[in-house]
Amino acid sequence: MKDAGFLKRLERELPRWVEQGWVAPANRRAILDDVAARASQVNYLTLALSLLGVVLLGAGVITFFAANWGVIPKIGKLALLFGVLWAAYAAAGYVLGRGDSPHLGQALVLLAVLLFGANIMLIAQAYHIDAHYPDGVLTWALGALLAAWLLASQPALAAAIALGVLWTGMESFGFERPLHWPFLALLAPCLWLVARHRWHWALRAALAGLLLWSLLALSGAGAWGRHGPAGLAQAFFAGYLLLFVLTLPLERRENLAGLMPAVRRFAVLGALAFFYLLTFPRIHQPWRGFDAPAQLPAPVWAALTVALLAAAALLAAREWRRRSDAQRPPHFAWGLALLALVALLVLVNLLAPDARLRDLTSIGFNLAFFAAVVWLIWAGYSRGDRGLVNLAFGFFALALASRYLDTFWTLLGRSYFFMVGGLILIGGGYFLERQRRRLTRAMSQRAQGGAA
Amino acid sequence: MKLRAALLMVAAVQSAVLVAMVGMKQWTLNTGTPVVLETQPIDPRSLFSGDYVRLNYAISRIRPGEVAGDDAFRRHDSVYLVLQPGAPYWTPVSVHRERPAAAPGQAVIRGEVQHAGDRFWDPAARREVQAGFIQVRYGIENYFVPEGEGRALERPRPGETVSLRVAVDRFGRAGIQAVLVNGEPRYREKLW
Repeated sequence: MKDAGFLKRLERELPRWVEQGWVAPANRRAILDDVAARASQVNYLTLALSLLGVVLLGAGVITFFAANWGVIPKIGKLALLFGVLWAAYAAAGYVLGRGDSPHLGQALVLLAVLLFGANIMLIAQAYHIDAHYPDGVLTWALGALLAAWLLASQPALAAAIALGVLWTGMESFGFERPLHWPFLALLAPCLWLVARHRWHWALRAALAGLLLWSLLALSGAGAWGRHGPAGLAQAFFAGYLLLFVLTLPLERRENLAGLMPAVRRFAVLGALAFFYLLTFPRIHQPWRGFDAPAQLPAPVWAALTVALLAAAALLAAREWRRRSDAQRPPHFAWGLALLALVALLVLVNLLAPDARLRDLTSIGFNLAFFAAVVWLIWAGYSRGDRGLVNLAFGFFALALASRYLDTFWTLLGRSYFFMVGGLILIGGGYFLERQRRRLTRAMSQRAQGGAA
Repeated sequence: MKLRAALLMVAAVQSAVLVAMVGMKQWTLNTGTPVVLETQPIDPRSLFSGDYVRLNYAISRIRPGEVAGDDAFRRHDSVYLVLQPGAPYWTPVSVHRERPAAAPGQAVIRGEVQHAGDRFWDPAARREVQAGFIQVRYGIENYFVPEGEGRALERPRPGETVSLRVAVDRFGRAGIQAVLVNGEPRYREKLW
């Protein structure tokens, strides 16, 4: 079906390409015949019926065993569980060995990984193993990681990352370990595999997992001494800032260059998310969450934050020096200045003994946040990065809506609050969207003009 | 690494993990000290879970003030409970945060604090008791039985007593060896 749609679009586009001289008239027929031949090779009705048949067969087998599970002796259960696991790997090996259906082969590897997890649960049930349940998920994740490594399987790696996030969520919320550091130990080999194979989807999964872990840590944080949760938010902000700056030298490495745009985007998202949280005055006040002890003393967090900021600043300065004047776009210098301002705010927040001074820093964070968003729009426009521009606009709108809520919730009567808010949303949203489209259209035109 | 060797290695390692799960459990059952524990009625407001039985023990709630050892426990703390033989049930001697040495004839079972409080409802006396307590989970609170047989264990008939024979190994890990009804094994755990 994909090929048929492509064929139709090709038939529409080819006359213009021939007219432009990009395709020779004699080749037009050959191109269309080739695509048409491929489009007719797949009988989609047969494929759909086969898939439905396989799903029904699988469901039937599963329900048969589920209904009779209790009467099957343990030896039978073990034979079944191990047999199915080995059969899945054998099938994956057969298909991957033939080489003509790599996607099916990888799907079978993923199936085997899922069966490993099912086996863990069923064996635990059969032998009444009632241990610390997140350990089962961790074991499953490690099994998936092993399969990803030895079989070069991106789906298995994505499964390992998803299971890792599930594991850390269970430990964080089920066992009150809000800063679950072992998750990073699991993520590290995943990132190594991503870099080795240049797997883009697994990279996105890993970065999403890292962001989720950061947010889980913040949401689970209890009292953090005089810094409140701001101490943790600042540390994560500095960490994501460092990650963003790290993409600049890493982009020069051939094996990593293709991955850096995604890393940069996630780093910006992470930094903006924590920066946005720092614009709330309440986060700068000490507060108690659930009764979980802080896993590191507040001075250690402060030192870590300062170290991360210093590393980001040094790396950014090094990148500045490496580049010639022609390679230093105007937004680069402004970005460094903004970085210095934010670092100053963070330091004041960490070291100021007076609570009133810390109140002022929350105003400073708000101003710096809006400046940072405007800078991101400028930087995104200069680099032709529409994703960055869209992200910046999104956070701009979110921050405006939040400040409106904060400021007017108690000042206005409820009905006026909602009426005025609604008008601002309609008008402001329309205005912002118009500006965003104008910018992205200009970027597209500039890109096309450059390509011509 | 060649594909066949890689597949073999993945399947073998994952199978070894599964075998280790069974092996560790069986090691506890085969080498652990058999301990008979008294069960207590499940809160009647709990939902019945089909063929999966939830078990509550006399040692599930410990009052540190009434036994020797440590007093202050927090949620998710590890707990080591020293048990001594009794007739017919083993009873707690002391409770600790670190694993103590057990005297001959005693067993040390490991658990995790689920909840710590200073008052609780005593269903037997039908009143609230003001006393420090910890609710502990030992990993032997669930047991899978054939379909339809779980309710009889959770809610025994009048005059019937349900107890468990549990193996406690030298690391404090416990495994259910047998479910006893009126002292006689109703279900027995075997490797196969």
